[in-house]
Amino acid sequence: MTAAQPLTFHARVGEKVRDRRLQQALQKARPLFVGKRARAVAALAEDQLDFEGLRDAGEEIRNRVLADLDVWLDIFEERARATGAEVLWARDGREICEQVIDVARRHGVAKATKSKSMLSEEADLNAALAAAGIRPVETDLGEYIVQLAGEAPSHIIAPAVHKSIDQVEALFAREHGRPEQPRSSADIPAMTAEARAVLREHFLSAEMGITGANFLIAESGSAALVTNEGNGRMVTTLPKVHVVITGIEKIVPTLEDFATLMRLLPRSATGQTISNYVSLLTGTRREGDGEGPTKTVFILVDNGRAALLGSPWQDMLRCIRCGACMNHCPVYFSLGGHAYGWVYPGPMGSVLTPLLTGLENALELPRASTGCNQCGSVCPVRIPLPKLMHRLREEQVKRGLRPRRERLMIGAWAWLAGRPKLYRWLAARAARYLRWLAGDHATIRVFGLAPAWTEGRDLPVGPGRTFHELYAARKRA
Amino acid sequence: MRVALYVTCLVDLMRPSVGFAALRLLEAADCEVVVPAGQTCCGQPAWSAGERAAAAALAKKAVAELEGFAAVVVPSGSCAEHMRKVWPELLADDAHWAERGRIVAERCHELSSFLVDVLKFTEPPADFAGSVTYHDSCKGLRGLGIKKQPRELLAKVPGLRFDEMSECEECCGFGGAFAVEFGEISTQIVDRKCESIAAVGADAVVGGDLGCLLNIEGRLRRRGDSRTRVLHIAEVLAGGSGE
Repeated sequence: MTAAQPLTFHARVGEKVRDRRLQQALQKARPLFVGKRARAVAALAEDQLDFEGLRDAGEEIRNRVLADLDVWLDIFEERARATGAEVLWARDGREICEQVIDVARRHGVAKATKSKSMLSEEADLNAALAAAGIRPVETDLGEYIVQLAGEAPSHIIAPAVHKSIDQVEALFAREHGRPEQPRSSADIPAMTAEARAVLREHFLSAEMGITGANFLIAESGSAALVTNEGNGRMVTTLPKVHVVITGIEKIVPTLEDFATLMRLLPRSATGQTISNYVSLLTGTRREGDGEGPTKTVFILVDNGRAALLGSPWQDMLRCIRCGACMNHCPVYFSLGGHAYGWVYPGPMGSVLTPLLTGLENALELPRASTGCNQCGSVCPVRIPLPKLMHRLREEQVKRGLRPRRERLMIGAWAWLAGRPKLYRWLAARAARYLRWLAGDHATIRVFGLAPAWTEGRDLPVGPGRTFHELYAARKRA
Repeated sequence: MRVALYVTCLVDLMRPSVGFAALRLLEAADCEVVVPAGQTCCGQPAWSAGERAAAAALAKKAVAELEGFAAVVVPSGSCAEHMRKVWPELLADDAHWAERGRIVAERCHELSSFLVDVLKFTEPPADFAGSVTYHDSCKGLRGLGIKKQPRELLAKVPGLRFDEMSECEECCGFGGAFAVEFGEISTQIVDRKCESIAAVGADAVVGGDLGCLLNIEGRLRRRGDSRTRVLHIAEVLAGGSGE
């Protein structure tokens, strides 16, 4: 598992805020994400469908699964085995890598094509495969781009959202062995076709396909794959071996439940009523099938998830990885996903990263939120993200992970706020001090006590008297 | 109705005029207004920092001070949300305080919602020459469902023209301690708000939370906009100036 780097979120902020190309890319993407989802949700109402009711249903399905997760996993395992698939269990990222490499060796795999899998990012699987002499090729266009750049995805459904066309062109020219050309958005189809041609060779030559799964369906032992580019179909049908790597929480009981969640997922993710491809992958190639793997392996991964069951953060396991929370997050769109330091960015990342990698490894993430709840109000399965971040803040305090100075300051302030007379007297002095600092101006331009405020903003100040002073004076008058 | 005015720590220190405007408004709506003398802060900063014990202590202090009133009115969606939603949760496990906290919390109201939803008051005493736009602050909007109340009230102000800005429901990036702890992100976020404000070109941007307003005004001024006024809704509705 790639460990989050401790205490580096702050360090990354400045760099991201000043990266003009990144900022332009984010500013372009934000209204698209938000607008498409809003239109898709509004369109539901035209069909007499109620998005809020669907959210209730989605929440209920996911809670039902989590209440008896062990039972649903047993059912899934039994049904998947009955269809001819192998089911493996991985405790952590290291075990994922070992199991994938073992399967690859057993089947003489030299190249593996991959469709998006965030679990493989949790495991840093590509590096492990390469070290074992197996070439991993990402085939989702965005994933392909970030793999060429030697980067991690910066968004769970739009991995290369942080890249500009120029940057992609430079990568393609280098990788595809041709001179760089000036590009505009009109060239996107041509560039996509170019990547497609390169990837086609890989699809045909890879011996193993690796995918995630958007859902595992217990009653049929199937993996559901939701994609837009068709690469998922290639990865799951052409190679002789198909490995599905997914978190244990991705189970849904029935196909009916899956259908309900599919009303929520594409609308929340990309604003589509349904994605271009929805695949239900069950078992291996049967007699008479023209295509499909002869070997299917499910790797069901814990990596910290089971410990969240019954914890104050269990709600987080409802997540269906749509990305709506980050698409509506002002902090995400100020920084992009890489600032978050691990696999998952945005609000869901700010909750998951500390929970899965250790609270002490991501102290800043649960605090890097304005508490605006734009995430919680769009989450298709009603995960109260700000509340979960808040519980992480409380847990940091409980475990003594906050800096002493910070705790002393809040303690002193709270002590003071419990003593109205002293508080009033000091507030009155503070009001005068602020007024004095502002001089003849309405605002303070440099404030030594909170320099971070006045780095980017003025501090508007009042008349030099507190409300309670003025009110007392008025009552006396 | 006898109501307590809880001015909030931020209004007390940074902009007393908002407290006086709220006072005038409530009096115009025939309330008998009391300003409880011991009030300091609802405790939200401690709660946000994860300091549950300190937040609970301040909640108890405030509940004890506010118990005798039929209603407690707060010129802030953020504080009102803390009082209504967080206090009961903070005190739920304390046998002595749970019920008292729950009762007081139910009686706490954000100013515009109190005027419209509780008092059915729609005749603000002020007039205003110019155009305004409204910033929906997050806790008021998404926490308490305050959206139409301020707009209904502003629509009744003679001379006032209302121009909705784009993305009025987007966070301004304040977030309390967040604004200082993550100043660069906060500035980045408020810049987008300033762009929406500039695009609509209103004479004043109005809001219901002083924290957001200080953040917005601070950034507007830094960007060189000395023209757009930044006003609390109480100041617009009550008219007059200062105290």
